[in-house]
Amino acid sequence: MAAKQFLLNPSRTAKQGAQINIGKDCPEYEAMVTTVTMNADDMKSLGVADGDSVRIRTEFGEAIFRLEVGRVPEGLLFVPYGPPTCKLMGGDTEGTGMPLSKGWEVEVEPVSGDAAAG
Amino acid sequence: MVLVDIRETKSVKASDIFLQIRPGKDFEVITILRALVKEQPVDESQVQETGLTLEQLQDFVDRMKKAKFGVFFFGMGLSMTRGKHMNSAALLTLAAELNAFTKFVAMPMRGHGNVTGADVIMRWQTGYPFAIQFGRGYPRYNPGEFSTVDLLVRGDVDAALILGADPGATMPQPAIDHLARIPTICLDPKVTHTSRLSRVHITTAATGISAPGTGYRMDEVPLPLRPALKSPYPTDEQVVRRIHEAVLKKPDWLQQGNRMALNQV
Repeated sequence: MAAKQFLLNPSRTAKQGAQINIGKDCPEYEAMVTTVTMNADDMKSLGVADGDSVRIRTEFGEAIFRLEVGRVPEGLLFVPYGPPTCKLMGGDTEGTGMPLSKGWEVEVEPVSGDAAAG
Repeated sequence: MVLVDIRETKSVKASDIFLQIRPGKDFEVITILRALVKEQPVDESQVQETGLTLEQLQDFVDRMKKAKFGVFFFGMGLSMTRGKHMNSAALLTLAAELNAFTKFVAMPMRGHGNVTGADVIMRWQTGYPFAIQFGRGYPRYNPGEFSTVDLLVRGDVDAALILGADPGATMPQPAIDHLARIPTICLDPKVTHTSRLSRVHITTAATGISAPGTGYRMDEVPLPLRPALKSPYPTDEQVVRRIHEAVLKKPDWLQQGNRMALNQV
């Protein structure tokens, strides 16, 4: 299956904020920061289903995420920020002190079960 | 309440009007709003680019002008997307210009934890909120040069003390890689991604739970925190004071002026 272009928006969620106070060293936190929300139509055109794994790539790096269907605009992806999004983030802050954290141009590619587990 | 976002969030339910704009068009939307506030002509094609209609934007402007007291709450969706500080600057200018018609302010929505507190304390201690360099014995401020991400990505620092933060789970990978390369000391009540890459992790009591402290509300109102529990661990303050005392006992290699600045901490 061919890769498709999307705009990825790492964001904060209230659930993630609460989980940080419980701890990050647990499967619940891991699941939150590796779950990407995608539009149902985008899933169809990419040939993937709810719960499938995808490889997301930027010019800086790549990481594996699990897909979750959600009410988000076509072409946009959302994920709570965390260690996997760190791998995709560029280090240049353009003199502001903060790197670009939203609207990353990414390539999304479905991955088979074995690759997802690895 | 008018909500502006690139997608429907949970806040839509609480809002009266939802304006869904195209990603990365924040600066364009704010600039058009500024033009409409001053009753200047606006190009239709530029409006279309934003994903909104001229009617929607004109209605928004009319509502803002009619408000008795308006507030812009803005978050990372504005300040850390395409345009970044230019977006924030444009919004602050819009708020300032609306004061010709009514009272209007802008307030940043802060992240988890006590981000506002860190800004406030650094501001009254040094005059600057972040990205402060003490290398000359007095504070200097320059985001992009002295900010943590930039220092780490460039590899300028050769040791790090991390307090009340988890850069190992939030910063760009090149910055994380550098933290792992250098001697990093982390103070945290919990095991975090940063504590794992640190040479030394000092477990401290959780402020507000098992240590006293002050939390700052988003509008900069300080809230004293009384601990509900006891902790076997020292507080962040106790650890930093002990490190500071130990550093002072080391042989002096600083110039006299710098030594005075160090003693004032």
